[in-house]
Amino acid sequence: MNKYAITLALTLMPLTALSVPPQQPKAEGIESPNYVWNADSGEKKEILNLKGDAMLGKEAYRGCQGCHKANGAGIPDGTYPQLAGQHASVLIKQMADIREGQRENPKMFPFAGKHVVTSQEVADIAAYLQNMKIPRDNGKGPGTRLDRGKELYLKDCQTCHGDNGEGSANKFYPVLAGQHYQYMLREIRDIRKGKRRNANPKMVKVVRDYTDADAEAVSDYMSRLMMPERAAEK
Amino acid sequence: MKYLCIAAFIIGEVAAGGALAVQPEASTNTEKARQIVSQVCFACHGMDGNGAEPANPEFPKIAGKQAVYLLKQLNDFKSGKRKSDIMTGIVAEISADDMSNLALYFAGQKNKPEIVMLPELLAFGKKYYEEGSPEAGVPACSGCHNPDASGTDKYPHLAGQYATYTYQQLKSFASSERENDRGLVMQSLAMRMSEQEMKAVSEYLMSLK
Repeated sequence: MNKYAITLALTLMPLTALSVPPQQPKAEGIESPNYVWNADSGEKKEILNLKGDAMLGKEAYRGCQGCHKANGAGIPDGTYPQLAGQHASVLIKQMADIREGQRENPKMFPFAGKHVVTSQEVADIAAYLQNMKIPRDNGKGPGTRLDRGKELYLKDCQTCHGDNGEGSANKFYPVLAGQHYQYMLREIRDIRKGKRRNANPKMVKVVRDYTDADAEAVSDYMSRLMMPERAAEK
Repeated sequence: MKYLCIAAFIIGEVAAGGALAVQPEASTNTEKARQIVSQVCFACHGMDGNGAEPANPEFPKIAGKQAVYLLKQLNDFKSGKRKSDIMTGIVAEISADDMSNLALYFAGQKNKPEIVMLPELLAFGKKYYEEGSPEAGVPACSGCHNPDASGTDKYPHLAGQYATYTYQQLKSFASSERENDRGLVMQSLAMRMSEQEMKAVSEYLMSLK
């Protein structure tokens, strides 16, 4: 019996002892002094090198649509985010971060971890979702302080997320157009308090001093953005 | 070296979602299958897989289920991956070829509709089947199994199944007594379901044609 083989087998064995439900691993995040946002490493790097097949992604997406819906719209109350028309790069980064434990999501992990979805399937699902049209009936805010929301958006958000909330595929900045008000509000709050551990430190800096009222106003404004070229027909 | 091989094999299987999607051989021997059914399977599952007469709802209806799914279950009974006091002994006597024949035979039968026993559960059962529980993090069943519960090769047909059987299976996934599901998905979600939800969704499934 080869000594190295035993060591290797013992190292690998714990992977096979999956507990039920599967527990999300924990990776270093924004709380760590060594944190590098969007580091060019890990599963994200691996998946970005794969070629996503949207046709295969449609079948793999079955495991997602029980929550995110067949049209990618999630739920307007923001429990599940809207995914249709999101940049593949963003979807891949967020999936990889959840799979490797930099972004916590115990609700989703049992259905999206490496134990059930392959890296190739993540690439395929991302390709499938990116091609989908963004529904127009997303959850919107109360519409009461849109002037303030616009003011904040133009001052703090537009440079990275674009005039119409189109984000940037290359920079891994998400599409905001068509996203649910409550989901964006929740993420802003989580980023503000460090709960979203894979957050971009630039984002933390932007929202750190937002009052709840400002977070609500800017989320409301963003929930009304629309990318004409990716929006679904009326 | 032996352990390394075993470890590598197990990891390979886990990486593949534990799904060794064995396709039944296309060259089915229907006559051979019918013979085995008439000697063995019919007593619980009926000649056409719609249950014996009189029906015992603890034994599943298997008519019209995907052949890939049926064969996987037979293989899992044989390997011990799915435990059953009854089925383990039965499949031990059946060859791999015959299991393929049987899977194709029952897949080719037409599932018969059932009479709903608890109609008061249907409205909630339908809602749960189609929406799951966003609060508890239970995906909608329809997402994988299709809105009409017709299923796919990866996710079995569920329509018209005895509510008693579906409920039993959800319970045994929740307790991990049944653990041959792909990627632990059914175990994980069943753990998040209440008994009432399991009952309602099982009743709703029985009502589907």
